[in-house]
Amino acid sequence: MEILKIEDLSFSYPLCEKKALKNISFTVERGDFVTVCGATGSGKSTLMRMLKKELIPLGELTGKVYYKGKDLDTLSEKETTCSIGFVAQRPEEQIVTDKVWHELAFGLENMGLPKDVIRRRVSEMTCYFGIEDWFEKSVNELSGGQKQLLNLASVMVMQPDILILDEPTAQLDPIAASDFIATLSKLNRDLSLTVVITEHRLEDVIPAGNKLLAMENGEIVKYGETRSAISALYGNKTLIEGMPAAVRIFNNFEINTPCPLTVREGRDFIEKNFSNEIRSADKKEQKNEKKDAVLEFSDVYFRYERDLPDILRGLDFTVYENEIFCILGGNGSGKSTSLSAAAGINKPYSGNIKVFGKKIKDYKNGDLYKNCLSLLPQDVQTVFLKNTVKEELADVNMDTSDLPYDLSELNERHPYDISGGQQQLLALAKVLSTKPKLLLLDEPTKGLDAYAKKSIMDVLKKLRALGMTIVCVTHDVEFAADCADRCAMFFRGEITSCSSPKEFFSGNSFYTTAANRMTRGYYGGVTTVADAVEIMKKNGAATK
Amino acid sequence: MKAFDGYNPIAVFIYYAAVVSVGMFCMNPWIIGFSLVGALVTFFIRNKLSGAKSHLFFLLMFAVMVIINPLFNHNGVTVLLVINDNPITLEAIIYGIASGAMIIGIIYWFRSFSQIMTSDKLLYLLGSISPKFALILSMTLRYIPLFEKQTQKVVHAQQALGLYRDDDFLSKIRGGIRVFSVMVTWVLENGVITSDSMTARGYGITKRTHFSIFKFRRHDIILTVTTVILFAVMLPTLITGAINFEYYPKIVGEETTVFSVLAYISYGILAFLPTITEAEEKIRWKYLKSKI
Repeated sequence: MEILKIEDLSFSYPLCEKKALKNISFTVERGDFVTVCGATGSGKSTLMRMLKKELIPLGELTGKVYYKGKDLDTLSEKETTCSIGFVAQRPEEQIVTDKVWHELAFGLENMGLPKDVIRRRVSEMTCYFGIEDWFEKSVNELSGGQKQLLNLASVMVMQPDILILDEPTAQLDPIAASDFIATLSKLNRDLSLTVVITEHRLEDVIPAGNKLLAMENGEIVKYGETRSAISALYGNKTLIEGMPAAVRIFNNFEINTPCPLTVREGRDFIEKNFSNEIRSADKKEQKNEKKDAVLEFSDVYFRYERDLPDILRGLDFTVYENEIFCILGGNGSGKSTSLSAAAGINKPYSGNIKVFGKKIKDYKNGDLYKNCLSLLPQDVQTVFLKNTVKEELADVNMDTSDLPYDLSELNERHPYDISGGQQQLLALAKVLSTKPKLLLLDEPTKGLDAYAKKSIMDVLKKLRALGMTIVCVTHDVEFAADCADRCAMFFRGEITSCSSPKEFFSGNSFYTTAANRMTRGYYGGVTTVADAVEIMKKNGAATK
Repeated sequence: MKAFDGYNPIAVFIYYAAVVSVGMFCMNPWIIGFSLVGALVTFFIRNKLSGAKSHLFFLLMFAVMVIINPLFNHNGVTVLLVINDNPITLEAIIYGIASGAMIIGIIYWFRSFSQIMTSDKLLYLLGSISPKFALILSMTLRYIPLFEKQTQKVVHAQQALGLYRDDDFLSKIRGGIRVFSVMVTWVLENGVITSDSMTARGYGITKRTHFSIFKFRRHDIILTVTTVILFAVMLPTLITGAINFEYYPKIVGEETTVFSVLAYISYGILAFLPTITEAEEKIRWKYLKSKI
């Protein structure tokens, strides 16, 4: 059954000449799981809002949206609110009330439903999501992933037929993100709930969905069954860049088979079509010069309060001059805490931290932050306080000509209105204004699309070439594999392994890149898609 | 479950209103005694012997009240001694003890009340009066910790940028202003997300209902009815002043009648209701256990 029909929809924001959406037409069947992909600014989010009547922004709108054959405008508010659910990006700010149970009931209260009905629906949903344990908790006690699940559950109690999600996992760590996607696909399977989702991280979503809608500059490039749509995108660099590793590998060859989507399919594809006579690429021998230590942790212990457990337990590591050092690890393992300890914000109760050979304690009058080190926090919105990008840069007397990238075209925009990747670059520019020699970054690629991620990586590499040392905490294995000189695994407050990305990811079998998992045991030392493609090309077609 | 934790907030509120209102306005020694002992027992049932420091503080407070009153209040006919031409009277001492006991009793009632009435119970109470106000309060309770956390993050971020220092007064103020302006932007921008989330879930479409996880059960009815009956028994004596008690100039109590005795007994039971329910529950569990 046709549940949603969009007919010749165009939209432009006020005072904007360019149309955000141009002649969009497509239909969604009941039970479809549609993944909407496209670079930042392609109009994905705007399109999502067009489908949720209550959230349509101000602007000029033409065209029609039909829900179950009826024009969305003719339906009652009650009907549209209940039948079309919406979950947005930031988990924290979407929560309205202070208790989990109250949040679950919020939408139903708004509908004016009697208490008994609310009680039944809330208890039902709590069971389905398996969240009884936190039913009476304060929402502030929940982790980011739990908060987003709560947002989903409190939309689901309204019993929608269709769920619209705008980058719901962008702010979550990879494990919470794949849990969230798994829950969505369970809802889709069990209740034949129709899902329309936009995402940047497509590795998990694409295999979960049955349809793909690719957008570029406010237009639909391709819409259809996932595999055929992806095949149709062959050669479209910007869109393929954000696809799962298997798709990216497939796109380097002209082989007439269905496109692989998952790691398993990718592996089949490689084994069927390529031989493995040459097992591994020539390793470029890295010269082991003696370098100066820039940041040294020796036996550092830290806890937030006297009665709380240790967050850092005997942390020991050294970062050398002019390298990009990536710290990976699970949530709550103390990665970010170690960064703020290095920046002198958290003070350890035992052990020493040395920056450029000098103990942090011995830096006086903020010398630590002058031409020395700088920390870019995870939430970059914490550094913005002005109304335009230009003022923002003037605020820290930043000379933009020193930057290895250009922000001038954003000058008059509001820092909150530019894209996530641009926010990240702007914040980085502010951080660089102190001319640091050691740069500490906390999850610089969180919530970014493939294109923005690439530009961040390029910037970091340029900074390294300028002689900067970069320490980076991240969840993003692909990012670490691509640009790190050394990677370290963080576990329960200490570093358990530390080596070059090649060694590091070949040594891990779960916590590693998709390209590595695809080629494990077939080829050696492959960590990135580029590595895989290179060695596959060398080997040539399988002789079977 | 400790005394009254599992009861409906409305029942608990009615009970406390009754026990505190009488205990606060009636200076009869019987009432004060029942109120003080009842409040202390209720509190100790809930908290065992923990928090000795706070008890010591209130004991000290009691002592101060007992000493201060006769020093500044020279009413009363029975002069015990004279300090600097100021008579210290027996009546003033006894009034000091009585009022001290009354205040400590009320304080302990409020201490256990605030433990029982967690924020969600208070919200439920408010919600039954004004749902709208309850929602605003709930949102505030949600926002304050979020705001605090974000402020902390901003302070750290600005610190690491070298733009926030607290070495001296001037830079502290300057840093504070920075953090404040970051937070203003943040609140304005992210408030939009919250309001979107509310609209998306139909806020303001029709009249809201007020949901809560509290039910009015049998034991709540029993508690409320008992409270009301006991209060009703006392009411005539309270209105007619049959249990009034004079401290100045001479200690005189009203004549003891059947009604006043009934009032004392009623208040005694009322003040020990939490203790009684707690004991009853303990006995029931013991009994159940022996059956198993």
